[in-house]
Amino acid sequence: MSAPVPVMTVPGEPPPTADAVRASGLTRTYGSGSTAVHALGGRVGDGTAGVDVAFARGAFTAIMGPSGSGKSTLMHCLAGLDTPTGGQVFLGGTELTSLRDDQLTRLRRDRIGFVFQSFNLLPVLDARENIVLPMQLAGRRPDPTWFDAVVARLGLRDRLRHRPAELSGGQQQRVAVARALLPRPDVVFADEPTGNLDSRAGAEVLDLLRSSVRETGQTVVMVTHDPAAAAYADRVVLLADGRVAGDIDDPTADSVLAALRGLGA
Amino acid sequence: MLRVITAGLRAHAARLVASTVAIVIAVGFVVATVTLSETTRSTMLEAVGARYTSTDVVVTSTTGAPLDDVARDVAALPGVAAVDLARSTSVQALVPGRTGAQYLLVDSVAEDPALRWQHLAGGALPDRPGEVAVSERVGAEIGDVLIATTYDDEGREVTSEATVVGVVDLRGDPSAGINGRAFVVGEQVETWGGLGPSELRIAGWPRTDPPLLAAEVRSGLEGQAVDVRTGEEQAVREAEALTGDARVLTLMLLVFGTVALLVAGLVIANTFAVLLAQRTRELALLRCVGATSRQVRRSVLAEAAVTGVAASALGVGAGIGLAALVSALVGTDSPVPLAGVTVPLSAVLGGLAVGTVTTLLAALAPARAATRVAPLAALRPLDPAPLRSRGGVRRLVAGLLLVVPGVALMVAGIAVGDVLLSVPGGALSFLGVVLLAQRAVPPVVAAAGRLVRSGGVTARLAGGNATRNPRRTAATATALLIGVTLTSAMVVGAATTRATAQAGLAAQYPTDVVVTGNSEDGVPASLVGRLEAVDGVQAATALTAGGLTGPDGYETWSLGVDPAEAAPVLRSTDDLPLPAEGTAVLPWWTVDTWGIEDGDEVTLSGDGGSRTFTARLGDTDHPLLTTTDLTALDPDAVADTLWLRLADGADPAAVVDEVTDVAGAAVPTAAVTGLASERAALDEVLDVLLLIVTGLLGVAVLIALIGVGNTLALSVVERRQENGLLRALGLTRGQVRGLLAWEAALVAGVAAVLGVVLGTAYGLIGVASVLGDYGEVVLSMPWLQVGAIVVVATAAGLLASVLPGRRAARTPPVAALAG
Ligand SMILES: Nc1ncnc2c1ncn2[C@@H]1O[C@H](COP(=O)(O)OP(=O)(O)O)[C@@H](O)[C@H]1O
Ligand SMILES: [Mg+2]
Repeated sequence: MSAPVPVMTVPGEPPPTADAVRASGLTRTYGSGSTAVHALGGRVGDGTAGVDVAFARGAFTAIMGPSGSGKSTLMHCLAGLDTPTGGQVFLGGTELTSLRDDQLTRLRRDRIGFVFQSFNLLPVLDARENIVLPMQLAGRRPDPTWFDAVVARLGLRDRLRHRPAELSGGQQQRVAVARALLPRPDVVFADEPTGNLDSRAGAEVLDLLRSSVRETGQTVVMVTHDPAAAAYADRVVLLADGRVAGDIDDPTADSVLAALRGLGA
Repeated sequence: MLRVITAGLRAHAARLVASTVAIVIAVGFVVATVTLSETTRSTMLEAVGARYTSTDVVVTSTTGAPLDDVARDVAALPGVAAVDLARSTSVQALVPGRTGAQYLLVDSVAEDPALRWQHLAGGALPDRPGEVAVSERVGAEIGDVLIATTYDDEGREVTSEATVVGVVDLRGDPSAGINGRAFVVGEQVETWGGLGPSELRIAGWPRTDPPLLAAEVRSGLEGQAVDVRTGEEQAVREAEALTGDARVLTLMLLVFGTVALLVAGLVIANTFAVLLAQRTRELALLRCVGATSRQVRRSVLAEAAVTGVAASALGVGAGIGLAALVSALVGTDSPVPLAGVTVPLSAVLGGLAVGTVTTLLAALAPARAATRVAPLAALRPLDPAPLRSRGGVRRLVAGLLLVVPGVALMVAGIAVGDVLLSVPGGALSFLGVVLLAQRAVPPVVAAAGRLVRSGGVTARLAGGNATRNPRRTAATATALLIGVTLTSAMVVGAATTRATAQAGLAAQYPTDVVVTGNSEDGVPASLVGRLEAVDGVQAATALTAGGLTGPDGYETWSLGVDPAEAAPVLRSTDDLPLPAEGTAVLPWWTVDTWGIEDGDEVTLSGDGGSRTFTARLGDTDHPLLTTTDLTALDPDAVADTLWLRLADGADPAAVVDEVTDVAGAAVPTAAVTGLASERAALDEVLDVLLLIVTGLLGVAVLIALIGVGNTLALSVVERRQENGLLRALGLTRGQVRGLLAWEAALVAGVAAVLGVVLGTAYGLIGVASVLGDYGEVVLSMPWLQVGAIVVVATAAGLLASVLPGRRAARTPPVAALAG
């Protein structure tokens, strides 16, 4: 973790923090009444009102936990894809839950990158068009040197004119990573980015994510259920039953596996 | 299986709404057309046939000779109870309160009360000479005294008076036209110069069988030059003479009805295809649990049948309702009178059958495709690959096989000017075009998509989306294409017909209205100004009249015109050239009597001397010189004739009434004639046609719009994940709506542009082969309307994207992750 850097505060702007994303008292309930599912925190008669968690700037954090523990729900709320039932989410100094849909959309477009497990690319656009899509939606021009650097790092130079259907699963995921990295977002969120890949292709994608953190200071938050994948991260946050159940710094596959066993998964 | 069907219908009710509405509109249109045409026929029969309702047998002369002698023979027959000797004439009548005389058609009233058919709006029918009953159009009231002007055998003017004793309600009888009608006793018709009876209306004794009586009369009149018909036969005959044009209209409307059904069929086929594509897994699951492919097909067809019957029934109801509405709006006060609605059973049954069969036929191909769903499809993830058309090559070949000979037939039709060749040629080639369109549309949409790439990311995405499922895009666009093609063909055809007909009419009748003073002293000079001041009169010019002696030594009534003043009054100088100084425009009869050819020298003389003119032949009744030339030869010549040009769009009947009043006030003997009403009648027919065509654009566009909306709605369902991804990556709701709007605009715009191009070609070809026979065709391209069609069709497409767009915009970003 990097030490806090002294920064000048601009009037009207929220003060910068060391955390890229932070949640406090976060709850998410699906449905209501007796059939309500408390995906995140908020259980009646339970001490925990909600989830409090923070993700450091320039770090690679993995969110882990058994299936159904609320990993995806947490990530959706943090990324402004879903509206929490209670609590607050801060992206840098911006509080997300008070934003209107269009503001939230623009925030995702300008400040957040996404890599999903599957269905990451638009079938009608070629690889290049997919990579620059969020910037084009924002009406911004990608910096050509940065674009070349990203594409080169991903080894996709000769595949740029291909449509997704003509790319392998690993290539498609690398295109998705390139798309997420190109606008230099505040945070890249990845939900099981290697879930559909074989181990070699998966390792390539994880290497990419890690090197973007090491070399360019990119913040990455990744959801995974694979201890080997989690071992690429700087830190692991463990979830169980919609609550934070543990925190591991500098994880290895073994330490993560042990911690998961401790949760009874 | 029944449970599955009903469950399917319930679950997909929303999607089926599109098919249902398409069928309701198409069937409704056909039923309304048939019902209105039947209503027109029966209304007309009632109006025209009114005079034959109490008539058992009618005798008419085949030669036009008077039937006085025949009447005596008929009256002597034992089966005949009464005979009415129907006579007619015409008079110029002056109604109190009006300054100008009007032209009245006069008919005799039957002596026998049984044969009197007139419905009285008030008063009574005349019993003796000096009494008259008039139609409402005359504008006289009971007790008014009409002053009638007639001419005796020597051509002398005779005036007589007649008291109005009754007003007759003609109940929308269109045969009177814009003229008033008068009814008097037979004796009065005779004193007003009527000829002998032209028609005998015969009543038999009570409980006579008309055909039997007709046979008796026929054999009694053996060898005489007469036609004998029953009253009913005569009524039908006269009504048909009048509704002949309405029939053509009905036929045309039915052609459009067929087109509406074709378009509806495409929309339905598309709906079912997509519905089934969405249900691939469901159908596969059915197959997995043991349903045979036959059962699957039957369940799909049963679903179509239920939809078809229900929608057709709604359509029949809607059609009858529409006909009733039109009938109520139009009423009997129109050139095509309508009273109530007459619903022929054939319209009801035909509508039901046609709608159901269309739906079933449209569902046939998708049902066949559904049976090919493999049970394993239930276990595979949904295949996002676009459906590839296997019938593509077959369709291409079939299309070409129809288009090539069709076009050849049309070309031959134009070359020999025969419609009988062009029409089947047009039909063949259009069917071919529809088949080819299925293949041609996707590449064109793709090209158009590349064109709009500069419109930003949304436009580029829309271009890609529009061509993802070529078959669906083609079917959607073709539905719109058919409607637009036919509409623009009609619009272009009507414009050219109008231009051609107007050019012909203008040459034939260059003056709208002619006022003659019929007085020694001529008309006052101020009359030109006063007539020009009449609302609806655009220009007027006065002609002098005088007597000149021609080469045959006889004095001929001649006219002098100021060419500069007359030029703006005449609609055309093709057939009636205006004279220059030293030129005389001579009537065609001078060719025989004076031995004149065009360009010859001709010497005319009058009280003021004589002069040699260059002769030009033209459509005029009297020699036409310039005013200066005429006055030089005949110093006594006075202005006695006025030519008027009416403003386009003015109501000729109203203007002529006012002109009659103004002229009558200045010169009591003035007479007003003119052909303005013919031109107006033609314009009205064409306007009605264009209005109907606009309505058709509405119907075709409405159905196609449903198709576009339906296709988009299904795309939204299919691309839920994709739209979620776009939302996650930062596409705002407005941009999502824009995405669908672009997609709709692309498909609709391409269909509209292709349709307009095709339609223009068909319209011009059609007019060229129909009118080619009658002389020069004046091509006219209604750019404004054609442009409007493209705009309306594209805008309709955009409109169709609104609802699906809203739904797509509501897709939550998390949908992308829902797998
Ligand atoms: N849309 C939803 N509606 C109802 N329940 C949901 C929905 N999404 C998730 N859940 C429930 O919330 C809990 C957490 O889900 P999720 O965050 O997807 O877990 P994970 O990603 O850790 O497997 C689960 O019990 C799941 O069933
Ligand atoms: Mg998950």
